[in-house]
Amino acid sequence: MPLKSSPAQPPAATNAVQTLWKAYNDQTPDRLKFIDAFLFFLMLSGVAQFLYCVLITDFPFNAFLAGFSSNVGQFVLAASLRSQVNPENKNEFKEVSPERAFADFALGSIVLHFFVYNFLG
Amino acid sequence: MFSLFPLLLLAIGTQGSVLTLQSPRFKVTSSTGTQLRTEPISFTQKSSTPVTLSQTDILKLTFQVVDKETGDGVQPHQTFLRFYDGKTGEEGIQPVRVTSGGKAKFELNMAKPPLSLPPTSDTPLHVSLIVGTSTHSPMILSLFDLVVPASHPPPYHPDEASFHPLPEIHHTFRPEQKLPLRPISAIFSLVVIAPWFILLGLWSQVAPRVPYLLSPSIIPFITTLGAFEGLLVWYWVDLKLGEVLLYGGALGVITIFAGKQALSKIGDRRIGRK
Repeated sequence: MPLKSSPAQPPAATNAVQTLWKAYNDQTPDRLKFIDAFLFFLMLSGVAQFLYCVLITDFPFNAFLAGFSSNVGQFVLAASLRSQVNPENKNEFKEVSPERAFADFALGSIVLHFFVYNFLG
Repeated sequence: MFSLFPLLLLAIGTQGSVLTLQSPRFKVTSSTGTQLRTEPISFTQKSSTPVTLSQTDILKLTFQVVDKETGDGVQPHQTFLRFYDGKTGEEGIQPVRVTSGGKAKFELNMAKPPLSLPPTSDTPLHVSLIVGTSTHSPMILSLFDLVVPASHPPPYHPDEASFHPLPEIHHTFRPEQKLPLRPISAIFSLVVIAPWFILLGLWSQVAPRVPYLLSPSIIPFITTLGAFEGLLVWYWVDLKLGEVLLYGGALGVITIFAGKQALSKIGDRRIGRK
């Protein structure tokens, strides 16, 4: 996840990170950036919920399970969608068209959300 | 037992012949044969000192049942000695063997007390004689008071311990879980909501153009996907599992066709563009 980088780093590392960031910005299609933003959002949301569970309270635990597992599950689904629709991976997923990948993503998400709503209580 | 007295009195009234005892007496001897006490039993004047037996003493009781008028010996059908504890209400009935001549001899050996002897309390046992026969009026005679050595405690049953009230069960429940303080909840609510704003901010930067999103071939698919989420929210709020599966199944069929339509359209466009 090279989206954000911490500024407090040695110059050489900063340089490398800046190069990486620039390359990512320039060479990644907007559609993949769109998915990356979603992944980044899921990660932040999951971290926030996990911190709340660890630091403050796990009550109500079912709500934590629902929220956190939806983050994790959605992250997995979105990451697999991203890898399948990435034009650079075309040779690895020859028989999987981007449409098929999106259909898988939609189906997986619906099933995931069904389980998550079961846990919400 | 005492409720029988009216019946017995009635019986006395109906039956003419009356029984009596001739020369009733008791004798207390020790286990070595020494005679400790021997007395005739008087029914008119009860002996003031109760008969006292020690652990090994033997009480012997002799009498003859006779017809009061003729003086002939009578063998009654039933002859019992009754040991009655007035305080506890316990009683023991011991049959007495009477010969055909009406003579009877009863022996109470305290070394081997009969099982029918009631457990001892601090009051002496009242010993009475009950005689019943079909040819004569029945008879109950109070003989004397008897002090016997303390009985053994009742035998301890192996299961006895199981038949006591158990100590009261105190359930321990998990303490009620508390919600955190309101400011903390508010802060973390903001923290958890914050990623949404980051997401919207990032998407506003990199949103890909979706020129065909609202085209008639694609909008049904998007709508059915949205309907699924709406159905799940409805499930959360109100619906039962069975209803959700029913509606979800129906919606799923529509979604499959709408999705096939939409995605194949997109696929055609993508291939055509290249």
